[in-house]
Amino acid sequence: MQSSNADIVRRKRFDQIVGVFHQDMYRYAAWLCRDKAIAEDVVQESMLRAWKSLDALRDDAAAKPWLLTIVRRENARYFERKRLETVDIDNLTASQSALLAEQPDEDLGDMRAAIYALDDDYREPLVLQVLMGFSTNEIAEQMDLKQGAVLTRLHRARAKLKEAMQEQAIQ
Amino acid sequence: MNCDDYKQAIGADPNFDGGAGHVSECESCQAYRREMLALDEQIKRALSINVPEIETPALEPVDNSNVVSLQKRRKLVTVWFAAAATVIVAAMVVRNQAPDGGIHYESLGEEVLAHVYHEPGALVPSDVRVADDRLHEVVPASVADFDRSAGLITYAETCPISGNEVPHLIIQGQRGPITIMLLPDEKITEAIPLNDENSHGVILPVGDGSIAIIGARDEKLEEVQKQIVQSVMWDT
Repeated sequence: MQSSNADIVRRKRFDQIVGVFHQDMYRYAAWLCRDKAIAEDVVQESMLRAWKSLDALRDDAAAKPWLLTIVRRENARYFERKRLETVDIDNLTASQSALLAEQPDEDLGDMRAAIYALDDDYREPLVLQVLMGFSTNEIAEQMDLKQGAVLTRLHRARAKLKEAMQEQAIQ
Repeated sequence: MNCDDYKQAIGADPNFDGGAGHVSECESCQAYRREMLALDEQIKRALSINVPEIETPALEPVDNSNVVSLQKRRKLVTVWFAAAATVIVAAMVVRNQAPDGGIHYESLGEEVLAHVYHEPGALVPSDVRVADDRLHEVVPASVADFDRSAGLITYAETCPISGNEVPHLIIQGQRGPITIMLLPDEKITEAIPLNDENSHGVILPVGDGSIAIIGARDEKLEEVQKQIVQSVMWDT
């Protein structure tokens, strides 16, 4: 069966949006679940969900938060389905280790390990702010939090990372 | 603004541009700001992991005629999105992030309400009915016999509720989409009302399971409830 013009336009729109934001989708997923293999699964599921729901996206300018919301929900769904246990940083699988393995220099490796070890509550807003460029208002919306709670978490996240890096420097 | 306030703000966002009067005269705060900006650079580099090639999954054609006919539906969209926004607030109140990263809810009603907004595509009013094949895929005979007498079904997905994949359907009501969730494994002894400022509904006991029905605040659901209960027969 031949694709209609509408199908082609829809697919083109999807490819454009995902093409621009797939790196953000993957990195967000990877830091949410802290596992590269799971992140790939989550991104693929998110692509499917985005494809089905594309018509609900009225404004392409809002595509990034829309996609990241889908990634966040798919990640939660993945863990609901699998009921995975939390991971002890001293007992990583190969896929989890891979997330920490890319380290062009020692400081970066230490920082990556420190971010990995942060509680989810602190890591996620930090990723959204520093990597995704979200404002604290946007983070509050994304995470269903009050802005004050976001500010507190971000402040504590940086304090914890600063402390971790200082400890590393002493050792 | 004093040093504590400024450092608190900079710790939350190193690009914070308030407190200019204070920081211009405070060397300690200037140094702290530089330190936080440097830390953020390091954080950003650490977060920027390599991205592998991710294959786009097979995308099946979607009936995009589901897009709202705006002139006809604009009013309903406004009403329904307002309801959805309120549901988000309700979800915010009730959700808990479990240690395993999943979201756990205090009750079935809370989970169902939160899920109403969980499906971004579900809240789109539509005139186009879901194909029979799709409906049978989502509501297989092994779950229930479900006929179409309850109304125009425009959305059908399988969604996780309480750890089970359940049919999530939308029929078009008078005031916007009406969410229906078939919960064959959720036996309840009495109806659970679901209410907030802009939406209302109920989880009804039906045989050994239950059915959730949620619509806009001004949607009359009584007749819909009756029709839906009559249109479902659990497979036992």
